[in-house]
Amino acid sequence: MKLRPESFIGKNTLKNLTSLQDFGLLFVIFFGGVILSFASDVFATGLNFRNVALASTVIAVMAIGQTFVILVAGIDLSVGAMLALSSVLSVGFTIKQGLPVGISLILALIVGGSVGLLNGFSVTVLKIPPLIATLASMSVVRGIAYIYSGGMNITPTPSIFSQFQEKTVFGVPLVIVFTVVLGIIAHIILTRTSFGRQVFSTGGNALASKLAGIRVNRVVIYCYMISGLCAALAGILLSARLDAGAATAGMGYELTVISACVIGGVSLFGGEGKIGAVFLGVLLLALVQNAINLLEVPANYDYVVSGLVIAAAASLDVYRRGLVDAGLKRSTNGAAR
Amino acid sequence: MAGTAEPRVLLQANNLTKAFPGVMALNGVNFRVNAGEVTALVGENGAGKSTLIKILAGFYTPDSGEVMINGVLLKFTPKASHLAGIATIHQDHQLVPNMSVAENISLGMWESKYGFVSKRREADRAQTILSEILPNLDPQRLAKALSPAEAQLVEISKALSENSKILVMDEPTSSLSNTEVDRLFEIVAKLKSNGIGIVFVSHWLDEIFRISDYITILRDGALVDSVPTKTATRDEIIRKMVGRDIKEIKSTLQGTSKRVLEVKNLSRNGVLEDISFNVNAGEIVTLAGLEGAGRSEIAECIFGIQKYQKGEILVAGFAIAKSNPKAAIEAGIGLVPEDRHSQAMIPKMSVKNNVSVALLKKFTRLTWLLPKVEENIYSNMKERLNIKAPTSETKIATLSGGNQQKVILGRWLSLNPKLLILDEPTKGVDVAAKAEISKIIIEMATLGTAVLLISSELPEVLALSDRVIVIRSGKISGELVGNSINQKSIMDLAMAL
Repeated sequence: MKLRPESFIGKNTLKNLTSLQDFGLLFVIFFGGVILSFASDVFATGLNFRNVALASTVIAVMAIGQTFVILVAGIDLSVGAMLALSSVLSVGFTIKQGLPVGISLILALIVGGSVGLLNGFSVTVLKIPPLIATLASMSVVRGIAYIYSGGMNITPTPSIFSQFQEKTVFGVPLVIVFTVVLGIIAHIILTRTSFGRQVFSTGGNALASKLAGIRVNRVVIYCYMISGLCAALAGILLSARLDAGAATAGMGYELTVISACVIGGVSLFGGEGKIGAVFLGVLLLALVQNAINLLEVPANYDYVVSGLVIAAAASLDVYRRGLVDAGLKRSTNGAAR
Repeated sequence: MAGTAEPRVLLQANNLTKAFPGVMALNGVNFRVNAGEVTALVGENGAGKSTLIKILAGFYTPDSGEVMINGVLLKFTPKASHLAGIATIHQDHQLVPNMSVAENISLGMWESKYGFVSKRREADRAQTILSEILPNLDPQRLAKALSPAEAQLVEISKALSENSKILVMDEPTSSLSNTEVDRLFEIVAKLKSNGIGIVFVSHWLDEIFRISDYITILRDGALVDSVPTKTATRDEIIRKMVGRDIKEIKSTLQGTSKRVLEVKNLSRNGVLEDISFNVNAGEIVTLAGLEGAGRSEIAECIFGIQKYQKGEILVAGFAIAKSNPKAAIEAGIGLVPEDRHSQAMIPKMSVKNNVSVALLKKFTRLTWLLPKVEENIYSNMKERLNIKAPTSETKIATLSGGNQQKVILGRWLSLNPKLLILDEPTKGVDVAAKAEISKIIIEMATLGTAVLLISSELPEVLALSDRVIVIRSGKISGELVGNSINQKSIMDLAMAL
């Protein structure tokens, strides 16, 4: 390939196309917001924004973990169930077993990490396809949550839960600050650390990574553990929000979480994605939900609207990828080879 | 047409221009295909051959320019190309593996009655179509059970069954053995006599001189020349492809007596038997032999990709752990694998990250990556290996095959390995990059690296090897040193003579 610095289209075209997704999402969120603020008096109020953001936190925390798993070309369906289990355990260990709150929380997180470890083990060592492995653990984990709680909400929560929920930092709810900080940490891990590089490398080409000396199985297991841990953390946040340990919570959340990742441009084939964009994906889904509520769309239409938005976002993604791939493919098959 | 001095023009492309983000893939190219003639399309990787073929097949629409088929303007859709009589045999096979040959042949043009496909009629039709080229093939065989050559010929049969006037073949011989190539060329000759115009794309100049009537040379998306094969010379074509002269490279190394690799009695059930050899520092040792003789398996055992039942592998006197590539790397081994795409490249990552992926430790402090150190590692390699990439953030998948291979070489060079194993390092790489890679290999050996080379290209083996170990059916059939290394001695040992 001859290099043409004076390239006639602009040498950054490909790069710009890659970030088109992020801008596209911001654009959709912004204009959706403008339209909503005309359609509803309530939308553009501080209270409503606060509610949308609060409602997003649980999904956002789960999506952080899911991003790691999808980056290594996996998928974790067990997160919704894990959320419920962690929700009942974090409250129940204190209420039912009388353990100190701190210990209960740590135990709930350990259970989350362990479920992740088992998922990772099934996927790497037993070589069960991720979809099946986590489908199985989803069922088992949900079952354990029911068994432990007897299918009932566990109340009341220790006072620290509601204190955490009500606390604000400079007027911003602590939960939101916590979620954003967690997102920033995940972003830094993915972009600035050796482990993050190994995640992208493993997801990009596992065999090549193995031959470059990366312990691929270990990386994949860590990613599932991070996902389990994040789901457990989200479960604790949920208990605080609901003021109860809820075994029936989080039904179908795994699909919302995966949708948010995909809308945020994380490639289901692995090796490609950004936490920031995933957060935008979470926000978009929360806004759609908000719009449905504010515009008083009949509850039965709820799912259809959500589904259509996901389909639209995914099509946008495929279109964008098409543009980028046309550039890439040209080079693998044609001119720049 | 017989007897006329001027052959009939089947296809005339005028002033084709196609730009992709960042690259001018084709720039005002004129191209002609005559009835009953073979036009060879040559050029380095990235010269624009594939783009031109894809335009003809209707996959790409050119930014400007036109294609006339028999004087009729071609619309650029796959269907229009098909109807105009252009059939393209792509480099990668396009048969559906789990369908039979007959089903593949009638794919997309089923003759059906009320929506039902008649198996019998389908088989009959396949038989008729195959009778020309592959009379002995059972149409009920599954496509995945075919040899590469058979699959290729089935595709050609299929293309011809559609009344094609122009047959475009993209590297049709890349997966064929010599006898199969002969067979293919017989068929091409037959098609020529039937008045079909053929476009033949190949990296192999020998084949091009054997089969073509015209040679069209592309370079950097522009037409360099179109010459009758009869009057052309090899050197002339290479010069026009590359745009400069390429010097022959010959290794004059002697090696040292410092033993780096010792393979003792290596055996792997059914594949390798009692393989023993050494490679010294500063020496280039080649494993020669036919494809499938077990050469890659030896490399994979050494690097810990494959398990072996018996034997011992020592690097610098120490046995290395079995089936653990990480341990092999830590022992000082680097491997440039045969299949760059599946085994080496991480396509979505940048060239810089692809170089540094095997030595993350070197620029990691307490898990933090040090971007400046990484950038330095890359820029060193870029300079040393003459990697042509716009920036260090360029994705490796967008580079030419030669540059991709240099990035992979850079990955191992930056580790400064004691032993570098290269499995077909110049496969799918253009002439100029081939020469550069050969130079790098010699340079590595000069600096004291032990090099174990696997190559099926005899000129490369002859130019680079200090010693040649010939493998036949999983066993060492002989070793050649110095003047005894020549084409005949290698082939005699490689084939059971």
